[in-house]
Amino acid sequence: MPEQIQKILGKHGRGPDELIPILQDVQAAFGYIGEESVKAISRYLRISENQIYGVSSFYAQFRFTEPGRHGIKVCLGTACHVRGGSTLLDSLEHGLGIHCGETTVDKRFDVDRVACLGCCALSPVVQIDRDIYSRMTVNKLTELLKNYE
Amino acid sequence: MTREKKVSITIDNRKVEAKAGLTILQAAREAGVDIPSLCALEHLPSYGACRLCVVEVDGIRGFPTSCTTPVEEDMVIRTDTAEVRTLRQEVLKLLLSEHPASCLFCGEQDECKDFQGTIRKVGVTTGCRYCPNDALCELQDIVEKVGLTETSYPVYYRNFPLEKEDPFYDRDYNLCILCGRCVRVCNDIRLNGTLSFKQRGKQTTIGPAFARTHLEAGCEFCGACVAVCPTGALSAKVSKWSGKPDEIVETTCLYCPTGCTLDLKVKNGEVIDVSADYDSPTEHGLICVKGRFAIPEYVLSPDRLATPTILGPEGYDLIGWDGALDRAAEKIEEAGPEGSCVFVSPDLSNEDLFVAQKFAREVIGTEAILSRVIYDLGSDLRAFVDLVLTSEQIDFLENAKGILSIGLDTTYGFTPVGIAVKKVARKDATLVTIDDQECNLDFLSEEAFRSDPEKWPEYLDGIIKSMSGNGKRGSVPPSFFKKSERNIAIVGPGAIFSKKRKEIFKRVLSLRNDLGWKVIVCHPYTNLLGMIAMGAFPGLMPGSIKSDGVLKFKDPATVVDLKAKCKVGYFIGDVPSSNGTPPCDYVIYQNALPAPEGVKPYINLPAAVFTEVSGTTISAEGKILSINKASEPFADSRADWWIMSGIAGRIKKGALKYNSLSAIQSEIKKAVPGVAGKDRRVPRKKVVMEGKAAENTAYRKDATEAPASFRGVPLHDYVAGMKAIEERRHK
Repeated sequence: MPEQIQKILGKHGRGPDELIPILQDVQAAFGYIGEESVKAISRYLRISENQIYGVSSFYAQFRFTEPGRHGIKVCLGTACHVRGGSTLLDSLEHGLGIHCGETTVDKRFDVDRVACLGCCALSPVVQIDRDIYSRMTVNKLTELLKNYE
Repeated sequence: MTREKKVSITIDNRKVEAKAGLTILQAAREAGVDIPSLCALEHLPSYGACRLCVVEVDGIRGFPTSCTTPVEEDMVIRTDTAEVRTLRQEVLKLLLSEHPASCLFCGEQDECKDFQGTIRKVGVTTGCRYCPNDALCELQDIVEKVGLTETSYPVYYRNFPLEKEDPFYDRDYNLCILCGRCVRVCNDIRLNGTLSFKQRGKQTTIGPAFARTHLEAGCEFCGACVAVCPTGALSAKVSKWSGKPDEIVETTCLYCPTGCTLDLKVKNGEVIDVSADYDSPTEHGLICVKGRFAIPEYVLSPDRLATPTILGPEGYDLIGWDGALDRAAEKIEEAGPEGSCVFVSPDLSNEDLFVAQKFAREVIGTEAILSRVIYDLGSDLRAFVDLVLTSEQIDFLENAKGILSIGLDTTYGFTPVGIAVKKVARKDATLVTIDDQECNLDFLSEEAFRSDPEKWPEYLDGIIKSMSGNGKRGSVPPSFFKKSERNIAIVGPGAIFSKKRKEIFKRVLSLRNDLGWKVIVCHPYTNLLGMIAMGAFPGLMPGSIKSDGVLKFKDPATVVDLKAKCKVGYFIGDVPSSNGTPPCDYVIYQNALPAPEGVKPYINLPAAVFTEVSGTTISAEGKILSINKASEPFADSRADWWIMSGIAGRIKKGALKYNSLSAIQSEIKKAVPGVAGKDRRVPRKKVVMEGKAAENTAYRKDATEAPASFRGVPLHDYVAGMKAIEERRHK
């Protein structure tokens, strides 16, 4: 991992304006921004770790924990909401024992909410990794999760 | 010199001249027009967060914030129109919707203050009466100024847990108004970057990265954030419920030789808190945790020695001053010049040191004026004194191009030096750090050499080699340090107390003498220059630093036998230890706090500390600085010079008869060059070694970097927060 970070840093200049591009590259490479990465960036850009964290926590796109193996996104757009999207989210939170935005302890699933996936006619919709599942029910969703390890 | 450019502006129908480059807020304040503001503060960069300083400017659409808008020629500004006033009230209402402020609008505000003032020290602050910052709060003032008497918004309590786990100050972010003063002072003034805004929107809080504590995140605990906080969100643990101080006394910190100015806050005759002075010429207000937070708990410790005591068959008996001075005089007379020594602390004032050396020479008749410095440094004392006497001023760092720090971490001490280094390292100076563990300057360094001190001399040789001009790389590339540029080496405690200091000192001296480097020494011996100037060293008479700045230095080991056993040791402001002080049959112990366990002094003489007496000290830069009395001496304790004078009079009639400090000072003026001068500096130029060097022996085998101490007593024994810091330092 350290070599990989150094490689990313090597592609960028050392001005403070490079911070966000670096953070984006780190997130793309590792899926998250870890403490070790923050330290390396801090040495490289000569900005304190706390300031880097301050900047990155401002943006919703950056995360600081290792993502799960599978990302579940429950749509809570208008159509999905009307047809029970929030019930799906509740059942997921209960079933997996985590809150929206968190990762299960076994790193199997992340649960997040999205505002619209663009297929409202098929609502309620759940996305797991890159696949979209339509007309979901709590039972269907529970069965579906068994296919993901 | 060109004259400063001025522009003429109109503020509230009044034509005024303002310096170009000022903001409207600054120009208005200079013209005596008061614009309310919560986030702007002198010394801090403009920010425009609180929106309270909005004004009307002709030709600018809307209401610009005066703290971020620079003045321009012919600008017409109105600061107090009906519209501006309404807008400010609205802004303030929104601000207060996230700040528990019920008391501000309560009709019974005044009665409550008088009759229910005791319901305090509560866990949750719901209004001013329950806030540690009550009566000190800027928000209270602003509400009055803006004239807000009611609010139409519900109060949103953010319900953040109180943060109390860090030493020295508590944080309640439910009271925070996100003005960003603490973030700016931490990042832009202290250059430390511990605090930043986290998250955004209504989730915004302030703190370090991840879920780290401030201690883990590298906080210096300088308290600058606490000082600038306009609300009660940040409050010092020791003084949070003390309220408004009665008076403020300016003095000099005696916790190290930097010579920082401190403003002691006094309430009910006690020093309750300390603040920095940003206008001080030496440290520019950049004081460290010791001066900021470690004074009240030390000087107000319940363990302070209160009255003289004497060792009896069944423990210590109280004995009045007369009795104590009689017995001390008897013991010293009995032992005679051969059997007694005086052991002084480098933390004493010039006046006390001057009287102490006179006591030893004229009353006892001995040259054995010993101190920790002699025992700690052993045979390296000569090189050490050579480096210390000509130590450069901190301001030199401003224009340095190459900086080499050796064994220096400035998190919890020497912060003015550390911040000056950070400032130039961010600009264009090359910084190389040598240390045995990670240090706080590393992240700005070009190269951080991490190794056991064993290898430091070799690394230094490499630097000397790479500067020698043949273009070869030694330990660093030749481009790092160039002969023609201003280079400076900073010798820190890590080097002074390492096993290889002899070799390190030698290399640093060679950098200085052969390659034109400057040197700053960050050492813990507060008034070392005072000791040398006042002659509190064996073989050095007062005035040994001549008016031309030359010091002829004799190795103390060649003047007195440092290993000899003494019958009576008179310890003035320092503590005896099993190694590092001469073994004594009887100890006369004159200090503020009790001797450590295992030491049984024959007599305890309670001494006043530097917040309780006046005097002068000499900083590492050679400045003669005043120590000013802020409170009465604790219980029956007395000034060190008074006690010495009392004993002296009993041994030798009429000796050292001083009625006041000024009597001592006028003697010093005659004896020591520089003291009477207008610029209040001792001359410093060079050290000439006289006589033989001492044998190659260290008198103190375990001289490692000691914890921060004052008068021989470790601060962490009496200051709770310093304990947490000491533990972290050793992790």
